[in-house]
Amino acid sequence: MSHNTASKHAILAALGQSSINQLNQKPDLSSLKSTSILPSELINRFEKGLTSVTGELIYPDNGNSIDLLKDNVAKLIHQGMQVISLVDGIKGNQLMTTHPHELKHIDYAIMPARFAVAENGAIWVDSEQLNGLNAKTHRVLPFICENLVLVLNKDNIVATMHDAPAKMRLHVGDFGTFIAGPSKTADIEQALVVGAHGAFSLKVYLI
Amino acid sequence: MYQSKSHADNATIFCRDENRVDWHSKALWNLREKRDRAAASVPEWEQLRQLGSEIKLHTLSHLGDYLCQFEQKCIENGIQVHWATDASEHNQIALDILSTHSVKKLVKSKSMLTEECHLNPFLEKHGIEVIDTDLGERIIQLNHQPPSHIVVPAIHMKKEEVGELFHQKLNTPKGESDPTRLTRAARKHLRDQFLSADAAMTGVNMAIADLGAVVVCTNEGNADMGVNLPKLQIHSMGIDKIVPDVDSAMVLLRMLARNAIGQPITTYSSFYRGSKVNGEMHIIIVDNGRTDIMQDKILAESLKCIRCGGCLNTCPVYRRSGGFSYNYTIPGPIGIAVGAQHDDSNTIPWACTLCGSCSYVCPTKVPLDKIIAHHRRLKAQQGKLPFGKKYYMPAVGKLMSSPTLLNCAMASARLALNVIPHRLIKPLSGAWGQYRELPVSPTSSFDTWYKQHRASNKGQNNVS
Ligand code: SF4
Repeated sequence: MSHNTASKHAILAALGQSSINQLNQKPDLSSLKSTSILPSELINRFEKGLTSVTGELIYPDNGNSIDLLKDNVAKLIHQGMQVISLVDGIKGNQLMTTHPHELKHIDYAIMPARFAVAENGAIWVDSEQLNGLNAKTHRVLPFICENLVLVLNKDNIVATMHDAPAKMRLHVGDFGTFIAGPSKTADIEQALVVGAHGAFSLKVYLI
Repeated sequence: MYQSKSHADNATIFCRDENRVDWHSKALWNLREKRDRAAASVPEWEQLRQLGSEIKLHTLSHLGDYLCQFEQKCIENGIQVHWATDASEHNQIALDILSTHSVKKLVKSKSMLTEECHLNPFLEKHGIEVIDTDLGERIIQLNHQPPSHIVVPAIHMKKEEVGELFHQKLNTPKGESDPTRLTRAARKHLRDQFLSADAAMTGVNMAIADLGAVVVCTNEGNADMGVNLPKLQIHSMGIDKIVPDVDSAMVLLRMLARNAIGQPITTYSSFYRGSKVNGEMHIIIVDNGRTDIMQDKILAESLKCIRCGGCLNTCPVYRRSGGFSYNYTIPGPIGIAVGAQHDDSNTIPWACTLCGSCSYVCPTKVPLDKIIAHHRRLKAQQGKLPFGKKYYMPAVGKLMSSPTLLNCAMASARLALNVIPHRLIKPLSGAWGQYRELPVSPTSSFDTWYKQHRASNKGQNNVS
């Protein structure tokens, strides 16, 4: 449904008076896409990017991150933490709630990520990951939890943001977000404080 | 009729506390240095700036088509689109949507557009409680002030002042000024607001035409926390926020946070292509003077701006006169570029040294110094030169264009500087002399020097 058609037409008519040259071409952006970079090099770059935005990469030498994550989740639950998991094979102790507001007590949310960007440590999560295990997942989960844990396949790292569109999924009506580290602010005298409104920490398990 | 104070008068208020001016200037320069390091870490930075500029110019030159495509795609995504020609229509649309849903409390995340439209007081007048949720915005809201910067809105306040404010409003311990503890207190306070809000409203960093999606960037997560709790979400955007596609958005996204605060990307860059399940999503597209700006070829380029704040951080005048001296919601070079036509004091275009540092750091190559010089010309053409300039500028023009007059005048000035005690002539130098010593006068003029040297060098240097 569209409203204010009169205003729409007024704006479009006013744009007809624009003095900007109509011949400005859309620039060709294809040269910005990266060409073959070794996966190991991408992991190194991603770790640097993630650290620069105060996130933490977990990639044990034996490569077995999933077992490590299982152990850590068991420990957290033992400590009395409220853990919710959307990752296949990792069991938390909380279920998806009816209302998004009820997620406010979640200490740890464990979620799959689609891909990550090496240059800035940003990790993309979209509706498909949110709803993969539970179609009733609330979009607020990665923001409202006290700590966020993302599980990322090591083959899903791209070099720069220009390589991201090929990997992003954003279907009709969807939601998706790049998450680069825990929430932070520097609004009081430019002093960096981690944990503004969203998660206090971000850990990324590379599998 | 009430007339706004001149930039110089406003700046005098800010400059009363010299230590604070130094502190303010340093804090902003710190951001500029971080920006330089971030830009230097991207080898193709200059290419990105060029492409960013071309993307924006192309989109602006086909804006009608892109806006229609954007609306069409939004409708396919189940998003309701509204058009507002000006601020009051925007505010009325927002109120109508909120009233339909009987909204009592609205959480807002940073949006310079809603500041420009003065939405908060309008909604409050109609009984809706509005909570700004960005920490800096919340601080100034509690302090009953407008933002003094477009990215770091409370940059003018010291932590002790924030501590005192929070002590009064949020019951933090008296004397608390530790940024971490103050931020924790704000987090707790704002959590309660998020959980009890009936609707959320945000600005828009980019609107992607071929998807019908809006991109919202924050470091704190306040936009996403706000939007994803209540059923109703509203996003307000200027017509200039459109980009053709995701590839274009990526070029701007790579530069936005780097140029703003030296961070490689904002913590959250969220793409909303529709509402949550059972939710409702509205987008208000606002003109409010932008199509007027587009009628002037030079001013039009100010609409390439992505509001990174980089030009404020580098500006020697902004850093030392503060965000409240510009008579407009947006201060600094970009504030002059898009706000000078509303400035009834007719002094704001002169709050600039034309050093060009702003144009140099701008990620989309907005030619800020050129636009500001153009504003001076426009004010002169409209007969609105600030008091003083109107009377002496034509005289200066005559003086400068006549070599004889100029030489006589300069000779008497040199004589005066040499023979009259400086404390007697200093008052004649006006504002310029307030913080400066008068120059030591040379014994002869450049003209005389040039003639002498040219004469003695003749015949030696003319072989090349
Ligand atoms: S004019 Fe350029 S530098 Fe200034 S805020 Fe806009 S994009 Fe940033």
